[in-house]
Amino acid sequence: MTSNNSGGIRRNVYLLVLAIMVLLPVSVAAYKLYVLDYPLAGLIPTTSYKVEVSMQVDGHGEDISIHTYLPKTDSRQTIDNELNSSGIFTSELKSDPLNREVFWKAENVRGQQGVLYTYTVHSRHVQFNIPSDLPIPDSYPAVLAPYLADEPGLQRDDPQIAAALRKIVPAEKPTILDALTRIHRHLQDNLANRNFSGYTDALTALKLGEASCNGKSRLFVSMARKLNIPARLVGGLIMQQGSKRTTHQWVEIYVNGYWVPFDTINDHFAEIPAHYLTLYYGDLALFKHTSNVNFQYFFNVTKQLVQQRDVQNALSQSMLNVTNFYAFFERIGIPQNLLKILLMLPLGALVTVVFRNVIGLETFGTFLPALIASAARDTGLMWGIAGFLMIILVSALVRRALDWLQLLHSPKMAIMLTTVVIVMMAITVGGVQLGLFELAHMTLFPIAILAITAERVALMEAEQGAMKVANITFMTLIVIAACYAVMESLFMQSLILAFPELLLVVIALNLWLGKWIGIRVLEFVRFRRLIMSPQEAAGRT
Amino acid sequence: MKLLREFFSRMSDTRARAATVLSMNRRNLHYIYTRNQRKHFPLADDKLLAKEILVAAGVRMPETYLTYSYFYELRNLERELGAYHDFVIKPAQGSGGNGIIVIVGRSGSDWLGISGKIYTLYDLQKHISDIIFGIYSFDLGDRAIIESRITQHAEMQELSPLGLADVRVIMCDDIPVMSMTRIPTRQSDGKANLHQGALGVAIDIVTGITTHGRFLGQPIVNHPDSGIHLIGRALPYWPEVIELARLAARSVPLKYLGVDISISPDGPQLLEINVRPGLEIQNVNERGMLSILQAMTMQGSDDEQ
Repeated sequence: MTSNNSGGIRRNVYLLVLAIMVLLPVSVAAYKLYVLDYPLAGLIPTTSYKVEVSMQVDGHGEDISIHTYLPKTDSRQTIDNELNSSGIFTSELKSDPLNREVFWKAENVRGQQGVLYTYTVHSRHVQFNIPSDLPIPDSYPAVLAPYLADEPGLQRDDPQIAAALRKIVPAEKPTILDALTRIHRHLQDNLANRNFSGYTDALTALKLGEASCNGKSRLFVSMARKLNIPARLVGGLIMQQGSKRTTHQWVEIYVNGYWVPFDTINDHFAEIPAHYLTLYYGDLALFKHTSNVNFQYFFNVTKQLVQQRDVQNALSQSMLNVTNFYAFFERIGIPQNLLKILLMLPLGALVTVVFRNVIGLETFGTFLPALIASAARDTGLMWGIAGFLMIILVSALVRRALDWLQLLHSPKMAIMLTTVVIVMMAITVGGVQLGLFELAHMTLFPIAILAITAERVALMEAEQGAMKVANITFMTLIVIAACYAVMESLFMQSLILAFPELLLVVIALNLWLGKWIGIRVLEFVRFRRLIMSPQEAAGRT
Repeated sequence: MKLLREFFSRMSDTRARAATVLSMNRRNLHYIYTRNQRKHFPLADDKLLAKEILVAAGVRMPETYLTYSYFYELRNLERELGAYHDFVIKPAQGSGGNGIIVIVGRSGSDWLGISGKIYTLYDLQKHISDIIFGIYSFDLGDRAIIESRITQHAEMQELSPLGLADVRVIMCDDIPVMSMTRIPTRQSDGKANLHQGALGVAIDIVTGITTHGRFLGQPIVNHPDSGIHLIGRALPYWPEVIELARLAARSVPLKYLGVDISISPDGPQLLEINVRPGLEIQNVNERGMLSILQAMTMQGSDDEQ
């Protein structure tokens, strides 16, 4: 037992350390904000998308060519870091004022060959306000003539489209806003969305009363052109984390000198969200290729945070400037993305501590949920959890089987780990075959985490039974999800990247939690008879 | 207005009752960490080490017949076990009653377990090597203990017909705080572990009379298997049980611990000490332990940090 005196000293040291851990980072942050004049908005990283376009063909000795459109940098989207890995194919780029096209060509192609084209996209949300009194002009400059014409698939002059249009826009001389609002609402509300990937022309869409993006867009363009409003189709991609084959089409309407976007599938009126990538303009096919070569393609989109370097480089040369701080690590080859994982781990551990000591959940270890959450970065939360469950299931099953064979402990654990590795490789191969690339990334699950999890699960199952393991697995999953939410939150990442000194505040919070002796949330449930029911306490307290 | 007042009065009642319960965080910080130094933890985790000290201090415990620390020692297992009719095999660092095998006699060349299960020489060798490997101790490397089997007092046998019941006494600063007996059931598969379905019966620490029963998280008055009435029974040798708990607590440098005792026909024997005694004893007793602890250690400066 310590004497009261040394207990007092301990208490004072505790309070002092706590105070330092709060005051130091807060004052450093304040110094950066007010003296170094940190532009807060510039420090918050922007979101960008890394897009991979993967195309594959099977050759039987023929000459093969592949054609597609590449996105252009414009006022809404910036394309950079373009990388063309075309293997045996030679590439040829062509550009006109509207579109950028690329041809990949190769002779005597044998076997499976592929092209991977990657680029980074920064794009922003754009919204237009159309003046309500703007009339439809009587005439336009000659260059807009193609956007008013009747085309195959865009049957402007078809009497059925004209008849339908009269019902939708009955006014003799509607304003542009009125006409577009009515057409947009009609297509959005009265034409069912169909998740159908084939080609639908304007007339078919009208007759069926339902259509996918391309049918609705063609109908929109035909109707706008019929009203003498220039309109064009836009082909592009909705950028969402993951891999996909589905592309998207929307329309642009020429209003008062601007091309204004509309999407009647996702109800965007005169606006376009930041995660829409424009690939080409016009009624075109995104991919064209030599026939009978089993052409396969998919897009793989990765959402990433990027520092606004131009803003940061303008900052002073102080050591407290985080740009200089991170440049220090980059000099020795440690990228900021890796540092970010490292910087977010303490937050994951803090989340785990809160769940364990304040809420009262049991987890496999204190760090494991945070580690698994950071491992799930590459696979996404769902596949990360699937991977975690897979490891637990395989190790439990293999342990059972090996127990039946009656083996000694160490060789048993080694066999278990080997099985888990084999299953993960199999899942990766399966993932690639099926085009599920998040699943394929499961091999990246750090092997150390795997080994720890597998052994812990096997030991716990032997010691406390399968029910207990199932229970703790469930609770661990909840904590992993919470860790993932915090560690992958843009807000938290921006905050910690800009103010890494806040990690000291994490220490302060842990110091405080380390002295917190309150009743855990789940203990209120456990001891509810002692705490909640009044008749129990009567005569006892 | 009246509703609001009622709500607040309820709230303060709940707070007052919550203040009587010893929570996990408070137990760890104010009782385990402040009263038990880390360096003394192995004492409670390693049963052989604890036994050495306790037996030297005059605490009555089951006799250790054999210990095994290395795999090669198992060569002689059959010959060495031949000297004993009945015995218990347990891991030195196990917890929760796991890894314990109770042998009551021979069955030809094999051994007969208490549940009627037959163990071959290979079964016992495998079990002991699992123990040595550390399967039951979360640690690499453990020792297996083979010790005398305790038979229990007739009154305990009546209360606990399915296996050995133990009496858990929580000791703080060498003073008994709360106690219960844990009784194996069919559900718990012969183990005296509440979380595995053993029956917990609260004992009045002064009189040694049973007061409440709890089984699978629910209050109970009759044994779920035998149907025998559990409440209002005076346990045999109660003053000796408490005296043994006090002696054990005084003999080790741990000031907050759970002492597990078994009552045999000729008096209590200590089974083991536990440095992290669980909190479920409060539910079994239908009473919070914190108020007792605080009343006991009135000066309690450490408790009020």
